[in-house]
Amino acid sequence: MMYKSWWKILASVLVLYTVVGGLLINVPTLPILHESIRNLYFHVPMWFSMIVIYTVSVVYSIKYLNSSNENHDLVAVESVNVGLIFGFVGLTSGMIWAKFTWGDYWPNDPKLNSAAIATLMYLAYVVLRSSIDEEQKRAKISAIYNIFAYPVMVVLLFVLPRLTDSLHPGNGGNPGFGTYDLDSNMRLVFYPAVIGWILISVWLMTIRYRIRILENKNNQIN
Amino acid sequence: MNLVTQIKYLLKKEILLEWRSKYALNGILLYVVSTVFVCYLSFKVTPPTVWNALFWIILLFAAINAIAKSFMQESKGRLLYYYQIASPQAIIIAKIIYNILLMILMATVALVFYSIVFTNDVGDIPLYFLAVILGAISFSTVFTMISAIASKANNNGTLMAILSFPVIIPLLILIIKLSKNAMDGLDRSVSYKEIGVLCAINAIVIVISLLLFPYLWRD
Amino acid sequence: MKKLGSFLIMMLMSVLTFAQDGKVEMADELRSSGKIYVVVTVMLLLFSAFIVYLFTIDKKLKKIEKGK
Repeated sequence: MMYKSWWKILASVLVLYTVVGGLLINVPTLPILHESIRNLYFHVPMWFSMIVIYTVSVVYSIKYLNSSNENHDLVAVESVNVGLIFGFVGLTSGMIWAKFTWGDYWPNDPKLNSAAIATLMYLAYVVLRSSIDEEQKRAKISAIYNIFAYPVMVVLLFVLPRLTDSLHPGNGGNPGFGTYDLDSNMRLVFYPAVIGWILISVWLMTIRYRIRILENKNNQIN
Repeated sequence: MNLVTQIKYLLKKEILLEWRSKYALNGILLYVVSTVFVCYLSFKVTPPTVWNALFWIILLFAAINAIAKSFMQESKGRLLYYYQIASPQAIIIAKIIYNILLMILMATVALVFYSIVFTNDVGDIPLYFLAVILGAISFSTVFTMISAIASKANNNGTLMAILSFPVIIPLLILIIKLSKNAMDGLDRSVSYKEIGVLCAINAIVIVISLLLFPYLWRD
Repeated sequence: MKKLGSFLIMMLMSVLTFAQDGKVEMADELRSSGKIYVVVTVMLLLFSAFIVYLFTIDKKLKKIEKGK
């Protein structure tokens, strides 16, 4: 699966399609957002990819605890590394968009805060890993922390924003994009964008994973 | 021995050990009292929002300091001894219960002393107290597992703080909201949602701790 | 909360004023003049470069893996 190339081609086609479609296909004319509604095609998929890749990481952490297979741990780490990149990109792109639509780089919004805290959580995971020298111990303990933190992150990202007012659509009385302005035209671009970017994030993860495997092999020979 | 008797014995042992030395208990109480006093001297009068936030920050740090010890204090020999006589589930449950008791005691003392020193009117005192109890329980469930993880990794305090903050913040947001509702004396039905979510998160955290602790324990 | 509330109200008010005008400003001129295609081409180029780069890394990795 990892070495097949059909899904990599699919990912490229989808992402390239969303670049063209995202800029050219008509969008609903809305106040405040204006043309910047097109950011939806590029900013939101970052979050979807981040969540998916963190889920992959947790799945492999669970697998590691059951199997003690070193490779599973490598997948878990590299997933977190890629997820962090997507998290940072999502945060900064969101900040830029927020500045021009809501007036602040950091409007006091539960989704923003939640996303920042989730990023902190995985940074803590990285710090935890670097604090342990022994390899098997590091793999096991970080897997445990990863599994422990994941459900809290899910609550943080999916439950808490719904309890408070949010500027984001779909929360605290704000109508969701789905209800009126994610019309069929936008869905046509949005869903492919999400799938494309998720595949890209998995692809990046597999590349990093394979590099790590090669590094390990090299170290063994020396 | 079945699980319940194991837990009972372990809990009794924790409390007995604590009662003999009284080191942790006195240390933590003094820590809380002096922090409250320092805050009083630097703030004198506070608006209600700050009053509430300050109280939780004091409790948060006291809790981290108190619970960080729960696994770090144990010597290697003693851990080996537990390993032979008790199941890992019993050990983690006993630790969590002991920490809950300790935190409730500490939080109550802190609350009483805090409200004596800082005058502030709380609209719904029973609900505020419930928030404090829920907070104490949340702190202990989360920090017990984190301190077990941190104790396996070099035992340092910074790591404990780094690991526990992101996990506790969601809970803390809910607790602060709940206690703010209590301070404003809002109708109790407003707070049901927060209480429900808090209890759910705590249940999840306990279940995950039970599932994961055996892996951590085996070494 | 208060800040947020006033913000929402302001948003609502701006929505209302826009509704009165009945016109939302979009980048129509960019579209009618065809300059939008320049933007599309540039972005397409950037993203294709990124993807081609990924494919070359992938290929190189495959080679090294086979070489072992």
